[in-house]
Amino acid sequence: MHIVDPASSSAAAAKTLAPRPASLQGVTIALLDNSKPNASVLLERVGELLTARGGARAVRVWGKPGSSIGASVAVLEEIAAVARVALTASAD
Amino acid sequence: MVLGTDEFIPLAQAQVSARGLPSLPVVTVPHPIGGIPASLVAAKAEAIVERVLRALTENPDASRAAAGGAGPSMEAPGDIEEFQTWLMEQGWGDGLPAIPPTRERVARMLSGTRRRPDDIAAILVPRLGRASVEAIAANAVMAGAGPSISRSFSPPSKPWPIRVQSAGDPDHDAPLLAPRHRQRTHHPASRHPRRRQCAGAGSPRQCRDRPRPPADPAERGGARPGKEDRATHGHPGKYSYCMAENETASPWEPLSVERGFAAGESTVTVCGSEAPHNINDHASTTPANIVTTVASVMATVGSNNIYLGGEPLVVLGPEHAATAASSGWSKDDFRCQVWEQSAVPLASFAQENIGRFATIFPEGFKDRPPGAVARVARDWRDIMVVVAGGAGKHSALIPTFGATRSVTRRITDEQKEGGR
Repeated sequence: MHIVDPASSSAAAAKTLAPRPASLQGVTIALLDNSKPNASVLLERVGELLTARGGARAVRVWGKPGSSIGASVAVLEEIAAVARVALTASAD
Repeated sequence: MVLGTDEFIPLAQAQVSARGLPSLPVVTVPHPIGGIPASLVAAKAEAIVERVLRALTENPDASRAAAGGAGPSMEAPGDIEEFQTWLMEQGWGDGLPAIPPTRERVARMLSGTRRRPDDIAAILVPRLGRASVEAIAANAVMAGAGPSISRSFSPPSKPWPIRVQSAGDPDHDAPLLAPRHRQRTHHPASRHPRRRQCAGAGSPRQCRDRPRPPADPAERGGARPGKEDRATHGHPGKYSYCMAENETASPWEPLSVERGFAAGESTVTVCGSEAPHNINDHASTTPANIVTTVASVMATVGSNNIYLGGEPLVVLGPEHAATAASSGWSKDDFRCQVWEQSAVPLASFAQENIGRFATIFPEGFKDRPPGAVARVARDWRDIMVVVAGGAGKHSALIPTFGATRSVTRRITDEQKEGGR
């Protein structure tokens, strides 16, 4: 039986990711906290460990006003200007 | 890169693919990270740090293409029972029997609209699926809405594309919210008995004849329960949940008129909502006493709205509405009083929650004086009030999911305004 597909393709066009640095030596890491409980604990501990093991220069933390609200354009632009890599967390 | 817990990996993968970043690294820890001691969270961080380091310093495999669909048409089992099984295997439908959306049936459904089949009515989360008019028609066929039903939608012809349009409105809600909680409040087709009864006694027939909302969040948006749809619980707001205001039994203007639409103009309002909660009051005879009952149901410590804001919806039964308006109160008077009384003393909240809410809504929870209260909405104007249903001493509270805002749109008369 031939049917009309009730679920066709996604709207997104594929984007290219920025090339990764060869190491974290001297790099500033951005952490984007989604405000869920303990997200900052997980992110900040990962940030500390990356600094210790990967030689990152600094870790800076940004926040979102709520887990279901996207980060503001200003925050994203600031992260892009300041940091070489960024981590965010999404979970309960 | 993204950190998450393993329970949420399907949603994270759907999001990165939907946004055109299928190779964005996602590293997970065992669920959960919330509600456990910080020391355990830190230990989880230590277990993944080497993977995070690699993800940040090694270029990801760019060959992973964004997940796409099968195209405009596909093969499915011809046997009707096998078709039901196949549908569930695809993760589609809602478990109730579905009609195969053959080309002929979809064409009949499309005969009631003048919109082009390839018009995109909305982009639906989390997969950012393109809800074309044809695909929505296929979903409507599957839901059991036949051509006779589509005729009953005129002159607000075929409200389903409009509903989907509203649901996909950028004002409506945040991307992760939509698949969890969605509810349609439908106005003013209240003269249509089936629609009026959506908020009164219901039956499977009525449920189908609305029609049963095409399972767009699942099919088009890619929010499959247990996969991309990570809601802790399912509930009616995710499946078949719409109502008409009972304007003829209301002492007040409908929600659409409050929002600037002309009286008699058909609109649909979409909001991200929980299931309705009954408000039982068989004895009150004054507006103040109705308010006491309604406000007490709203004022709870575990409410989404109390710390996230949003627009809780009060659905007054016509008899409660008549009592609420009996001494000359306007709808705004009623909303103000409900807001004033829907107060929870901060002393009733657990300290952990006060701490969390203080970061999310400092004005409401941070360094508040003794005796301070939290109200169920940020402003009295945020409390939505509609009158719906039939005889009886019941109303309903429909809490919304936090920071989401409802969206009201006019239902276009396609016969007059045309599509193609």
